[in-house]
Amino acid sequence: MTPHGEDVVVRDKVKRIIFNVTRIPVERIGDGASFREDLELDSLSLLEIGVDLDYEFQLGLEDLEQRLGDLPTVEHVVGFVRQRLEEKAVA
Amino acid sequence: MGVLSPLGDSPAALHRALCAGASHLAPVEGFAVEGFSMNRAVELRGFDPARYLGDGNFRPLDRTGLLAACAARLALDDAGWTGDAVARGEFALLLGTMFGSLRTISEFDRRGLEAGPLYVKPFDFANSVINAAAGQTAIWHHLRGPNSTVCAGTASGVQAIALGADLVAEGRVEVAIAGGAEELCWESFVAFSRAGMVANGDGTPRPFDEKRSGFALGEGAAFLVLESGEGAAARGARVLAEVLGHGEAFDPSQGSDERRGAETVTRAVKLALEHAGLQAEDVSAVSAAASGHRRADAAEARGLAAALGMSVASVGVTAPKGAFGECLGASGALQAAALLAAMEVGELPGVAGFTAAPPGFPLWAISDRTTPVDLAVGLVDGVGLDGPCCALLLGRS
Amino acid sequence: MARAVDRRAERRRVAVTGIGVVTPVGSGRETFWRKLLAGESGIAPVSSFDTSRFKVKLGAEVRGFDPAPWCERLDPGTLGRASQMAVAAARMALADAGLDAATLDAERVGVAMGTTSGEPLEIEIFNDALRAAGRDALDGALATRYPCHRIPGQIAAELGFAGVNVMLPNACAAGNYAVAFARDALASGRADVMLAGGADAFSRITYTGFARLGAITTDRCAPFDRERKGMVPGEGAGVLVLEPLEAARARGARVYAEVVGYGLSCDAHHMTASHPEGEGPARAMAMALADAGLRPEDVDYVSAHGTGTPTNDRLETLSLKRAFGAAAARVPMSSVKSMLGHTMGAASALEAAVCCLAIADGWIPPTTNYQHPDPDCDLDYVPNTARQVPVRVAMNNAYAFGGANASVLFAAAAG
Repeated sequence: MTPHGEDVVVRDKVKRIIFNVTRIPVERIGDGASFREDLELDSLSLLEIGVDLDYEFQLGLEDLEQRLGDLPTVEHVVGFVRQRLEEKAVA
Repeated sequence: MGVLSPLGDSPAALHRALCAGASHLAPVEGFAVEGFSMNRAVELRGFDPARYLGDGNFRPLDRTGLLAACAARLALDDAGWTGDAVARGEFALLLGTMFGSLRTISEFDRRGLEAGPLYVKPFDFANSVINAAAGQTAIWHHLRGPNSTVCAGTASGVQAIALGADLVAEGRVEVAIAGGAEELCWESFVAFSRAGMVANGDGTPRPFDEKRSGFALGEGAAFLVLESGEGAAARGARVLAEVLGHGEAFDPSQGSDERRGAETVTRAVKLALEHAGLQAEDVSAVSAAASGHRRADAAEARGLAAALGMSVASVGVTAPKGAFGECLGASGALQAAALLAAMEVGELPGVAGFTAAPPGFPLWAISDRTTPVDLAVGLVDGVGLDGPCCALLLGRS
Repeated sequence: MARAVDRRAERRRVAVTGIGVVTPVGSGRETFWRKLLAGESGIAPVSSFDTSRFKVKLGAEVRGFDPAPWCERLDPGTLGRASQMAVAAARMALADAGLDAATLDAERVGVAMGTTSGEPLEIEIFNDALRAAGRDALDGALATRYPCHRIPGQIAAELGFAGVNVMLPNACAAGNYAVAFARDALASGRADVMLAGGADAFSRITYTGFARLGAITTDRCAPFDRERKGMVPGEGAGVLVLEPLEAARARGARVYAEVVGYGLSCDAHHMTASHPEGEGPARAMAMALADAGLRPEDVDYVSAHGTGTPTNDRLETLSLKRAFGAAAARVPMSSVKSMLGHTMGAASALEAAVCCLAIADGWIPPTTNYQHPDPDCDLDYVPNTARQVPVRVAMNNAYAFGGANASVLFAAAAG
């Protein structure tokens, strides 16, 4: 799959997970949307999204709560997931 | 009051369904039941929370929480309480349940076993505590007063209403939302089946009947809005009934000794009458807890007969679990709502599934037919299968 | 509609005459109190299940508990662990009150208990059996042993009590709710003796959940300390014997304290996070004081909820200031969770016992592990060393998952 194709797949899954947790329609989740301000998510919802992401992509994160703090927007998460998947593919 | 049941989502619909006497027992769709010789229950199908809760995000709630929150919405609307007035009012919430959500805590644990402790779902943990539905309902509807989950087995719903009435009567709160909620799930279906409490054959529950073999599991939620007479009058609220009194007792044999079980029911009813300042002959109708359970139905029948004395000849007795099934913590609240609806209309539904009484059966005039009755005072009987009993007296205004 | 007769004027005064406890620092009122005043901890690495896949290791388990000596009627093997500890605590409480169950009017003795999860080990047994051997291995225990109303039921069955019997599973605030319910049952004349308390059993379910939320500390449980990192899940049971003050005096019973008031509220804000301004807890405290006819200045000791999480302790400090005003700076407030961990549904029952003992004994237990003052937590937390001081009025505060708040006031029985 092309890098662009991968990006689309990851982005789509990320948004779907956000929808599952928040019922915010995928179309209304902008790439630059921030979880706290734009999507108005509380920490429990963020943690739920984080666990679902970790499970879906098998990221194997030890320190999920700290990571989530460093990923304030959808774009950040997509980038992080792709990077992590690449690291795992190479390892 | 608010009702959410497979029989209907209003007290009036519930009453009509009870009078119609149709069976609502059907093969379970919400979870896999292959391998069970009896795979039927009274299940709430097509439950659409958005219909009651609107557009907000209720994803953090599980089924039990949704049943409770939706029924509470219906009750608040029915009582004419909306928006800001509720939040300002610091309403109490008393939620009867047997398990909270048995499904959620079980799934939470299974996920941890399958995927490891890092992958358990935070939402599920929040909903795994037994008081989760009460917390979620309070958040959703801004209920900021005393918040208590009430567990007394299958008597929970009645006990919750009794506690709510006391809080109002003592002046601790102006308004209490009291009732119960319970979901049907695979785990409880397995457990009650394996415990031998569920009806065999085609699963039809037959409360009080000579051929009864157990109950059918149901699910649902119901809440009564309780407030002081003065408060209701001051805001011009429509008053459906008055809580006249309640009584509680416990069977130390925990349901194993039928005689003690009967005596416990008698005590609870007598204490309720005493609290209300009434006599047995003042009671017009009884909503019994009888579900088709072999021993519990017999104990309750004996207990009621002893409490009612000579009045047993004239008082009407119904047992709605023949139609809505054993809804565990929600049962007592559904019984109360159904009886209030019956009192409003002046007709007592028959007992669905009832054909004939066992020899020596001490209660009279139980049938599967609806009877027109002037219902001034109703007794709601909450009987736990393993000890707790709570009796509640309601008077039509 | 409910009959709105404010019957509070005719109500009987209610006393605490017996205390029974099964805790991570030991069982029985004497051992419990001695250990708490000595600042001893029941927190240690978890032993009842494998924590190798967890980042956290600490728990407050009840080690070496044997239910057999406490079960005369019932077979302890038929009881879940929380019920076993509850039955034991109930028997201890009755003995402590100098009461013989056989001489009481059984119909006038009731039981009100609290819990968070009831018997979660039964869920684990169910799931373990399912995974190991499939559906055919499953039995009916979830319908019979598991339901949490069995906890007060087993107490009553063991002791032969036939009065009101209820479980109020309001999580971390449950014990306070049970004491409040019992107090009302006695005050209104529904019962003549009430056993009230709470119980919870340690389980991987509860532990896993709190670990996933990041709520469990990796080192010490240090409530109100600037470096505090979280709570420690625990287990236990606490039962109080309550009876009308008049009856207690008439039979020459030792009265620890009187239950003089309570306040209940709900944040209605969030399932796992408290209201950011401590509004709900402050209301519960204010209601309790109003119920008792007392002012903040009258309170000599506050038993805090004090879990040791960064958020709770900060908000709890805020709540106390909100409710007490200037008096907040002067009232000692300690958290025994520093030693007992968070015993869940037993917590506020054990802390109610602490309040009663503080009043009876004139000693306040410390908040241990306190090393670094926190500018956001700037009150008197009785750091590290127990303090001898007369306690006439003690307030027990408890805040639960789901936002339920409960404050109960105890006072030396005067007049």
